[in-house]
Amino acid sequence: MALQILRRLTSTLPVTNITVSATTNTCQQQLLHTTPACCEIRKLARLRVVDNSELGKRAMAEGRPPRCIHVYNKRGVGYIGDKVLVAIKGQKKKGILVGLKQNQKPKQPKFDSNNLVLIDDNGTPLGTRIHVPIPTVLRTILKEKTVAKGADYTKVLAIASRYV
Amino acid sequence: MCMAKIWLYKINMIQNICFQLGRLRLGSCIVSSVQVREKGHLSRPRLRNPYWNLRKQRTNTEDLVTTENKQFINELACEKYGTPALSKSIQSQENKLIQTNDPEEEIRSWTEKTRRCGVIARKIGQYPLWLKNGKKVRTTLLQIADNHVIKYMPPEECGPNKNPSSEHKLNKYGCILVGAESTNPTMLTKEYCEIFRGAGVAPKKNIMRFMVSPQGAIAPGTPLNVAHFRVGEYVDVRGKTVDHGFQGVVKRHGFKGMPASHGVTKTHRRAGNIGGGGEKGRVWPGTKMPGHMGNRWRVLKGLRIWRTNAKYNVMWVQGSAVPGPTGGLVYIYDTLLPLRKLKEAPPFPTFYDEVDTTSEDCWYEQMHKFKDETIVYKSE
Amino acid sequence: MNVSRAMSKRWAQQCVFNRIVAFSTKPTQHAAAVSEPAAEQETVATPAAATAQPATTTPAPTTARKPIVPSNYRFIYPEFLPDPKVEWRNPIREKLERLDMLDRRRQIDLPEFYVGSIMAVTSSDPHAAGKTSRFVGICINRDRCGLRSRFVLRNVIDHQGMEVVYELYDPTIQKVEVLRLEKRLDDNLFYLRDALPEYSTFDENMEAEHLEEGAPVPVNDIKVVLRPRPWLERWERQNLLGVANIDQYIKDKHRKSAEKVQKPWEKFDMMKQYRSTIPEEEQKEVFAEVHTELHSMELQRKRNKRKRTFVKPKQLA
Repeated sequence: MALQILRRLTSTLPVTNITVSATTNTCQQQLLHTTPACCEIRKLARLRVVDNSELGKRAMAEGRPPRCIHVYNKRGVGYIGDKVLVAIKGQKKKGILVGLKQNQKPKQPKFDSNNLVLIDDNGTPLGTRIHVPIPTVLRTILKEKTVAKGADYTKVLAIASRYV
Repeated sequence: MCMAKIWLYKINMIQNICFQLGRLRLGSCIVSSVQVREKGHLSRPRLRNPYWNLRKQRTNTEDLVTTENKQFINELACEKYGTPALSKSIQSQENKLIQTNDPEEEIRSWTEKTRRCGVIARKIGQYPLWLKNGKKVRTTLLQIADNHVIKYMPPEECGPNKNPSSEHKLNKYGCILVGAESTNPTMLTKEYCEIFRGAGVAPKKNIMRFMVSPQGAIAPGTPLNVAHFRVGEYVDVRGKTVDHGFQGVVKRHGFKGMPASHGVTKTHRRAGNIGGGGEKGRVWPGTKMPGHMGNRWRVLKGLRIWRTNAKYNVMWVQGSAVPGPTGGLVYIYDTLLPLRKLKEAPPFPTFYDEVDTTSEDCWYEQMHKFKDETIVYKSE
Repeated sequence: MNVSRAMSKRWAQQCVFNRIVAFSTKPTQHAAAVSEPAAEQETVATPAAATAQPATTTPAPTTARKPIVPSNYRFIYPEFLPDPKVEWRNPIREKLERLDMLDRRRQIDLPEFYVGSIMAVTSSDPHAAGKTSRFVGICINRDRCGLRSRFVLRNVIDHQGMEVVYELYDPTIQKVEVLRLEKRLDDNLFYLRDALPEYSTFDENMEAEHLEEGAPVPVNDIKVVLRPRPWLERWERQNLLGVANIDQYIKDKHRKSAEKVQKPWEKFDMMKQYRSTIPEEEQKEVFAEVHTELHSMELQRKRNKRKRTFVKPKQLA
């Protein structure tokens, strides 16, 4: 629809031809999402995989980021350290939120993207490295969430490269 | 001629009317079965204002008094009562008392069931404090506003005895009148000033009564200050909430309203449906609707006192939701919540010793004082 | 006739402009405020405040006894000025708050900084391994008053932009260092979130740059390059000075709607300005109260700095 309008514009206004065609090009390149950024992690929120798992790397490289399809808590809104179910490249995978875009408490970092680390059912991360800093609060939160004989989330902490 | 005629006519008419009325009365006498539909008096209890609820402000008439004489009157008032508290930023402890009754000789013991007097305070703002574990707590500052006990009424006297025959239902609690914020007596009515006669304190702007156990009686003229409460105790704070006036349903009850567009007309901030049809075809009691918001008495219960300052008579109380605007009056009581009630004996009936105004603030032991060093966590 | 009336109106406006001192840190308003003659009493000053500070309310700017407060204190210590909202003000609360702030400042050196300065904050963190964490970044905003005052630091680490809010008087903050003291052209730098990442990337191991004593704080007039749309905010509506390429990405419809929401009359709205600022007389009162303390702290800081700059040679010849 937008492209049609742009085409019509280009036909009527030869002067702006160059700039308009440039913008259409950039739009196509970036696979621009037009919905406004939701500051909360709820269902269908787009996330960014920040570990070096094959699946995550390919999904991010293709420009088809994973979408959250379930948040494993009672609020339905994911906060830092929460487990989420994501749809990534046609598969269902679990992940842990390791950085959020929404406003945080004082002294806790707020990130420019919603970061995710993919894990399997036992809490073992699919990748071997997290290539962005993660907040230090995660150490406490993930230790609290790990229960005996359940999933061990502290393995995520082991692959972190840096804390903030 | 003409006048006389009219006169006669009038007399005639009056006679006529009298006759008619007489017949009527006769008729009613005969029937004499008038239906009684009401009891003839109101069934709800009549509002009996307490005796101290009088008009305060004197009507300001031109007294044709020279300025010198006015000054003289003011000086006289100051000499008698001390300077009014309002003109000093610090609430007056040094208020001149005519006579303060000493605390009674026999030591009255405090039990968990006795009720103490409360105080009148002003909410002066709020700011955060930090605990020793690094957590932030939001606190409200309450300044105890130049309080003096004005009168004590034992249980027999206080409150109208609703039914004289029921002797066993006597009030359990007596009542203490407390006044706050001394003011210039020339501004007040004579009747209002009479209330303060026995207490020996300057007339106060605000009066409040507190129900106390008979053991908790305090002699008139006794000042109440922040030492009445101790740090770490819990208090209930009563105040009148901020007046918002007549408000719609979105502001008053937090309704969501309706969309701004998509064909919605004239119902963007309205409630929508207020009830079903059929058997329940009416508006049910308690339905949330537009109306007056605020200006209501509310009690916030169980607030911990984190810190007190004796110099300015200020206490820091947990939370930032104390009812009323900044500068509004609030009333502070010992809490009634069963788990937060006083366990140990507080200053009873009140704190009598001289307050050391130069001393530093009193902090709760979990509080981080700003003078202390930076909080450092120890690695385990 | 008309001309003279207009002239007199403008003159009156100027007078009121001079009397009102802005709370903002803009240098233009600063200049206007400095030229202001300290005179008339403000009616806003409550009688209680007047008695609390009897020496300062007397309009005598020439008395020698009064400590001379530097005029730039309201930019160095903006959090000492209370919230200008009249309903929330109370002289005793403000005084107690100031005392608490000074108590905290005696424990920790909180240096002068502005929006645009590059800072490093070391805070104790119960979650971290060493129980402390250090964050370096550019200050993009500074807000709130009193003990609530806080600032936001922003940095890009490992190609990941992040921001941390710090409360200035939080007792868990161990150290606040200003690595580069400078100002920017705007009051806040939230547009760095939409700028290219190199504009908010700062080295974590940066050395503190020393500014000469008495030198004015330099203004960094760098123009930031924004990323293409979509943006987090509509920057074209905010009259930003520190953005280079805003016109590149906006279309005519954006320009038109930006024009519509502009409020050019607001700078002439004297009532608005009056409500959002603290009158200069009250500012003087506030700073006269805390001046001696702050000044002694500043002297102490200077002494410490001199100690730091002198490095003892390790090996003697």
